[in-house]
Amino acid sequence: MTPHIGDSYAERNARERARALLDPGEFREVLGPFARLRSPYLAAQGVTSQSDDGVVVARGTLGGARACVVATDGRFLGGAIGEIGGAKIAASLELARRDAERGTPTRVVLAFDSGGIRLQEANLGLLAIAEICDAVVALRAHQPVVAVIAGRVGVYGGISIVTALCNEVIVTEGARIGLNGPDVVETEAGADEFDAANRPLVWKVTGGRRRFAQGHATALVADDMPDIRAAVEDAFVRNGPFVAIERPEFPDPGLEREAFLRAYGITP
Amino acid sequence: MSEEVSRGRAWFERFAAGGARADGFPASVLVADAPLDGLPVRWVAVVPAPQARFPRARSGEMGIDEAFGVAAAVRGVPPNSAIVALVDAPGQAFGIREEAIGLQRALAASVDAYVQARRSGHPVAALIVGKAISGAFLAHGMQAGWIGALDDPGVDVHVMSEPAVARVTRMQRSDLARIASEVPATARDIASFARFGAIDALFEVADPQAPTDEEYASVARALGAALRDGSGLRLPGERLNRPAAIQTRALARRVRGELATGWDG
Repeated sequence: MTPHIGDSYAERNARERARALLDPGEFREVLGPFARLRSPYLAAQGVTSQSDDGVVVARGTLGGARACVVATDGRFLGGAIGEIGGAKIAASLELARRDAERGTPTRVVLAFDSGGIRLQEANLGLLAIAEICDAVVALRAHQPVVAVIAGRVGVYGGISIVTALCNEVIVTEGARIGLNGPDVVETEAGADEFDAANRPLVWKVTGGRRRFAQGHATALVADDMPDIRAAVEDAFVRNGPFVAIERPEFPDPGLEREAFLRAYGITP
Repeated sequence: MSEEVSRGRAWFERFAAGGARADGFPASVLVADAPLDGLPVRWVAVVPAPQARFPRARSGEMGIDEAFGVAAAVRGVPPNSAIVALVDAPGQAFGIREEAIGLQRALAASVDAYVQARRSGHPVAALIVGKAISGAFLAHGMQAGWIGALDDPGVDVHVMSEPAVARVTRMQRSDLARIASEVPATARDIASFARFGAIDALFEVADPQAPTDEEYASVARALGAALRDGSGLRLPGERLNRPAAIQTRALARRVRGELATGWDG
């Protein structure tokens, strides 16, 4: 389980993550950087855009089966989803559902690393997330939808909701999953509620190990490409049904904050 | 204008009058089965509940109990019944208890319930009577096939509060307000949101907390028509084909078209 130096998933960029998840030599990007699909909203707000809008759609094979990896680029505006990137994700999921209905299924892996909806095009991001949620549920009726959360950003906001709708969620210890980023909780509720600068606490509450223990992730793996690939392969072989999300057991929320966290096994 | 009763509760009580209240839900989740012009409808609203057990979810926010409550209400929809989400939510709950439990899972449960209900043939409509913010709106309203809204300054659609946006984007609040006036994608008013083809009807109501009989009747008529004519079964992706979206979402339409063309190489 010792990670091989240089074979980290987290250290790869989105495109290289997609390439490494697909079978060797099988990588064809659809609407790549040369499609020059740049967000006009970013330019209008003085923010530098990127020619793939931060979402890579890669076709290829996975364990020999037709596949598509959708990878969000956490290094570009925190991997947040705008109009173009959101449409890429929604369309990929819908095309995979069409393929399944035609009897030529395409495996889909969502390699998310995203802070959620891109605030510079908020309304369009919100609309896209609703479409993506619907598309995940529809595709799930045919085949597993697999999320890999193993990047530096993790998943927050709308993308954390999409992740929760997936059959299989593969995480590393460095991954984070939460609805509201600690920064946002701190702004809305104060540092007494959630001190975003307290990094150990952030991981104790939202980290991959914690989420796996809670059953929010189906596999906890090392940040090592072969391990992550094997977990993805396993997820498709297992072909398990979606387990309906039920209200979990948790301590009395009326407890004072620190007592609540301690009762939940978290040392603040 | 009275502020004692939330808009969500006021409209819920109007629609639910003469119906049967469903029990077993938290005080913040109102559920009733009441016919609309002879059509069976399950009405669902999230309202402030000062006695709610989560301290950060007492003012109408979508928290753990609210989202799982909405999910249960939708999963339990009677056969042949339509569903109407009455939307008046200032946002999701912001608290460490929520994050520790995993609020994203609770919101996903509610999203999942709405999608499955709609896809299995229950028409779903949403009526925005107040705020429709971010995760709360995604979980309760946005999966509807038809969305109506009151045309009122108190109706507000956005993703994050202004101070939080300022912190995350490292921009000044004065700049954010200027940008919102220039870029509708970042605006917070319902007219800007409607520009993207996401709102199927806007209703003028003098007092959003206390609609007149005529105002109420016009909203009820539109809702009833949408639930009967198949609008409530439309997929979120179909919003891209509404006349308003042809130009305002041209990029998303182009991406979908080109991705389909290049999908198989």
